[in-house]
Amino acid sequence: MLFPTLAFGLFFVAIFLLNWLTRPQPLIWKITMFCSSLFFYGWWNWRFVFLLLWAIASNWFAGTQIDKCLQLGSKDSAKKWMRVAIVGDLVLLGVFKYYDFFAVELSNLLGSSTVIPLLELTLPVGISFFTFQAMSYVIDMHRKLIKPMPVLDFAVYLSFFPQLVAGPIVRASEMAPQISQRPDPRHVASGEAFQLILRGLFKKVVISSWLASAIVDDVFANPEGHSSQDVLLGVYGYAIQIYADFSGYTDIAIGVALLLGFRFPTNFDRPYSALSLREFWKRWHITLSSWLRDYLYIPLGGNRGKNADTYRNLLITMILGGLWHGSTWNFVIWGAIHGVALAVERLLPKWQIHPAVRWIATFHIVCFAWIFFRAESFSSAVDVLRAIVISSGPTELSNVLLILVLAAMLLAQFIPDSRSEDVKQWLNRRGVLAQGLAFGAGLVLIDMFGPDGVAPFIYFQF
Amino acid sequence: MENDTDTEPNPQSKAGRFPAGQVFLSGIAGLILAACINSSALLTDAERLPDGRSRSLSVAIWTPIEAAASTLKLTWPRTVGDSLLGRSGDKGQISLRREQIEVVPESQNEEWLVFSVEEEQRPELQLDQGTTDTSESLWGPSNPFTIWVLGDSMVQFFGETFVTMAEKSPSVSATAEPKLASGLSRPDYFDWPSRISEVMTTHDPDAVILMFGGNDAQNIRADDGGWLDRFGKQWEEEYRRRIALVMDLAVAKPERIVLWVGQPPMRGEGFDLRMKQLNDLYRAEADERPGVQYLDLRSLFTDESGNYARYLLDSSGKLVDVRLTDGVHLSHWGGEWLSEFLLKEIKKSPEVEELWNQ
Repeated sequence: MLFPTLAFGLFFVAIFLLNWLTRPQPLIWKITMFCSSLFFYGWWNWRFVFLLLWAIASNWFAGTQIDKCLQLGSKDSAKKWMRVAIVGDLVLLGVFKYYDFFAVELSNLLGSSTVIPLLELTLPVGISFFTFQAMSYVIDMHRKLIKPMPVLDFAVYLSFFPQLVAGPIVRASEMAPQISQRPDPRHVASGEAFQLILRGLFKKVVISSWLASAIVDDVFANPEGHSSQDVLLGVYGYAIQIYADFSGYTDIAIGVALLLGFRFPTNFDRPYSALSLREFWKRWHITLSSWLRDYLYIPLGGNRGKNADTYRNLLITMILGGLWHGSTWNFVIWGAIHGVALAVERLLPKWQIHPAVRWIATFHIVCFAWIFFRAESFSSAVDVLRAIVISSGPTELSNVLLILVLAAMLLAQFIPDSRSEDVKQWLNRRGVLAQGLAFGAGLVLIDMFGPDGVAPFIYFQF
Repeated sequence: MENDTDTEPNPQSKAGRFPAGQVFLSGIAGLILAACINSSALLTDAERLPDGRSRSLSVAIWTPIEAAASTLKLTWPRTVGDSLLGRSGDKGQISLRREQIEVVPESQNEEWLVFSVEEEQRPELQLDQGTTDTSESLWGPSNPFTIWVLGDSMVQFFGETFVTMAEKSPSVSATAEPKLASGLSRPDYFDWPSRISEVMTTHDPDAVILMFGGNDAQNIRADDGGWLDRFGKQWEEEYRRRIALVMDLAVAKPERIVLWVGQPPMRGEGFDLRMKQLNDLYRAEADERPGVQYLDLRSLFTDESGNYARYLLDSSGKLVDVRLTDGVHLSHWGGEWLSEFLLKEIKKSPEVEELWNQ
């Protein structure tokens, strides 16, 4: 069930009503929300609902065991349970997402005579997101950062439909209090929620879909058939497309959760305004980068050791972060580019470089890495890079509208928070009926400017 | 009720916050407003759905809303907006009759290219495939051998790869034109026969590659407005008539190379079975036309047991993924395989093969 569809609209109207009607009875509310989320997830493939149920049951049980062991003072046993849970989650992820990749690579390494059997399984939607959330639960439990959640609370948390399939990666410490405490039904943040949903739909339906069809898909499908100018604009276009697509999904997810009385963490904070790679990762997919920092980079040693250790940790973290996105070498390369760039950034002396130069360098390193992220293979990525430098193809896709849209989207990254707050406040000052009607008018405009069909969100595949 | 909640928001953050009941009603008001203004577009979308319960329900919902909204003149903002954006195209039901296909605007001055009784009036063609010694003078960088690839989303996944590979010869110009979610079953969504007629008329390609079927295993609307059940006798007759129409449009010029690409094996058993049934129809129609060559992809994309396979060994013995994770479309490598296969077929004509050897 995709957000920008009629099916989701009808589903959400019913859930909104059920959510607030059942809120005074916590047990009924939790059962309602859990069943609604399973229905939402089963809409794609009902078989994978059992996978989600398994992730809920196994991680909740492990969390409970960790807590028991800690209560009894048995730290070693607690650690064992945590490891069992993490291995279980990684096996789940490995079987569905990585097995075939490694089996193929191993088969090719051993030669054609040794073909390792392949599973060829369908990738369950959102598996990377909910397994990461589950892992954060058991690790935080082991670190004594959270208390064990009641099973139904944990089930509601892990399956909560607004963030189930493409994040943000919400931690148990952020969700548990919101599940156990009832929000005030007299104060639903409708102004902020409507604004976020409209903004997300605009980014996804209008900007992302339009850029994909106007230039990005053509350029990446056949870079040699286009001029260098077209290819370069296609790469910039993809940088904007993936931002609009993913941050658009996040905006809708946060808005939908707000209407249900939940507040999710911020996931994007104008990432293309960053003046360094380090800053970029504080602004891009914030819930994933902070997850990688807290559960991978810091346990590896972070920046506590020698410089060489720090660079190694950065590289490992970013390569694994790349692999999290998908089981292809291109994602590994994407992660490695960021890892190396972050390491080089640390290595460089603290020169006084003009912010404009730093911005240009940061943005272009990010775009360079996006080429590998988007291209279907390494050779396709090389074709794109070659075409940027040398290409005799015609200039057919570049036009004033495209350049204006790209420039506007980039400039929007530099609009101070206070400005966007003004827009929010404007909607907040309106009466509730005016908010609803403004929301309806916004939907009309988005549908009018959007294409006939809307492609699935890019981050669904991860 | 006043003290029935566990959280009390900061009074300063209460701006824009309203009781859930009011938010629900205002949201519904907004959705009704959007539904009324957009009702024409939503009804069109509903009518484009495959025949079935979902379509019937959607059409049943949107028809009265659209009627009421039109009567109340609520649809004008959308109509004006669409006009300003140049999107006012009410397609309605399209009938796939040969006599109607012939009446495409671009063909009026060049009717010889559209398959019709006026074939005899066509200007003398510049190409005779049987005469090998004329090829070099016919095709070159200034007058390239033109190839068009037309079809549904399958074409999107290999079309551009094919174009790149074909255009390795400066004497070849290739164009891929995919239309997502299209096919021959639903001309109300996209009218392929008219588009193909247009391409043949305007561009007069030397070779045409056609690939349909992925979206076609669905009920078809008959001329009388009724629905023909998928794979029923009447459905099969109508679908074959549509295949025949498209093939005839493509082979109107006998010298043209026309390749009809069958559907590859699919991961889903039911879907695969339906594609096999469609392939049988394509093959049968192609067999009746000497100018159309049906290409079976099943052997190209199956493993040793003849089953669907995502990974296959390439010529160097290396495993490569030839299909996407959806179990339907071709990956980059799969697209390369298919493109190579298609080019090999096109190059079977020695004078055409010469183009890549220059």
